[in-house]
Amino acid sequence: MRAVNFAKRNFKEIIRDPLSVIFAIALPLFLLFIFQQFNIPSDVYSIENFTPGIVIFSFAFITMFTATLVAKDRTTSLITRLCASPMGITDYILGYVIAVLPLVFIQNVLFFGAALLLGLKFGVNILLTILVSIPLSLLFIELGILLGCVTTDRSSAGVSSIIVQLVAFTSGMYFEADMMGGFFNTLCKLLPFSGCLDITKAVLNGTYEALTSSVLTVIIYTASITTLASILFKRKLESDTK
Amino acid sequence: MIRTNNLTKRFKDKTAVNSLNLTINKGELFSLLGVNGAGKTTTVKMLSTLITPTSGEIFIKGINTAENKAEIRKIINISPQETAIAPNLTVMENIEFMSGVYALPKSSDRIEKLINDFKLEEILKQKAKTLSGGWQRRLSIALSLINDPEILFLDEPTLGLDVLARRELWSVINGLKGKITVILTTHYMEEAEKLSDRVGIMSKGHLTHIGTPQELIEAAQAKSFEDAFVTLANGGEAL
Repeated sequence: MRAVNFAKRNFKEIIRDPLSVIFAIALPLFLLFIFQQFNIPSDVYSIENFTPGIVIFSFAFITMFTATLVAKDRTTSLITRLCASPMGITDYILGYVIAVLPLVFIQNVLFFGAALLLGLKFGVNILLTILVSIPLSLLFIELGILLGCVTTDRSSAGVSSIIVQLVAFTSGMYFEADMMGGFFNTLCKLLPFSGCLDITKAVLNGTYEALTSSVLTVIIYTASITTLASILFKRKLESDTK
Repeated sequence: MIRTNNLTKRFKDKTAVNSLNLTINKGELFSLLGVNGAGKTTTVKMLSTLITPTSGEIFIKGINTAENKAEIRKIINISPQETAIAPNLTVMENIEFMSGVYALPKSSDRIEKLINDFKLEEILKQKAKTLSGGWQRRLSIALSLINDPEILFLDEPTLGLDVLARRELWSVINGLKGKITVILTTHYMEEAEKLSDRVGIMSKGHLTHIGTPQELIEAAQAKSFEDAFVTLANGGEAL
């Protein structure tokens, strides 16, 4: 219950900074709209493939404002007060995660609503994709907590923008990694973002073959980053209150 | 209520608090005084379980804090040096948030009492960040009483406030005397003299003197409490 209570506070903090929320929704929506206006001769840009790309891209903004919230919180005396309360480390981590999930849901609904208007065929797979994207967003939220632990309130947005770029260029939303070869191709395979996109694409299009390695990669990354974020957050709380 | 046994905290090569032995009685308002870097805030942070001592022990109501932090945290609260509120939440949302932290029911008598005692009715819907410094500090102290703590740590509660706001907060803190145990750190001598039952003076991590304000004046053979502090904090020599 303490986690839910903390999540309510975090949610209010996030939505009361409407610029970042609008940015996290408006920019991906704009990209979805604009890329459908050109007849680009590549499957990557078909509405069935590009909409999942936009979903994963928008998660990078979730990382950004989770990182900003955590980094900001660490600088305030409110955290000192909370550290002397019965709240435990799980309450903090869950509190951040639960606060961001409604935004993930809202993003998804808006993106798929826009995609339907742009020609995506309605089907149960859309609902399934929205459902699957919720656990996928955990990776990005935990990454935000991790970045919030190692950055300051001033540097968190800048550092998080690296994640935005990495997601854009390594997820495969703009081009297939196989087209590039060499180091870039290896980087795409090492990072979990292309795996996230493969999963959402597969669920939306009902093509579940050869997903094992993507699912495993995403699970391993999510578990590792969650563990690391929890350890670092605990350590940072202790050092910040010294 | 609180007892420390050779409490020590070292940060790398600096000893912030050195072998502190202190007993604070139930319902007492105890002030810690000292120049910057004397070890007051570090002591408060150790007593309030925020940081772990390098060595030594703290007993609160007979419980060793190192062994049962969770239990201790239910009966203490702290008002840190800077105002500890959620700036984007309204005053009422701040109160509800902190009551949730202590798992209190949403509409408890405790909340009503705090709103009345701290005269918060008129600003309940105002965002905390729009309040004046004095009202933010008042809210911060109100939040630190949300769980009806048995021990309250006030770390420089009136720092940076104007005279009127400071006097108002003194009246609030005075109202707590006898009901809960208060540990106060301050740089304002008048504040310590007016509010404290006993005062401890810290210097370079050591607790050098302890007593009522009057006892300290007599010990220093000084004319005022401020003179007494200057003499005692300076190793017995008046400036």
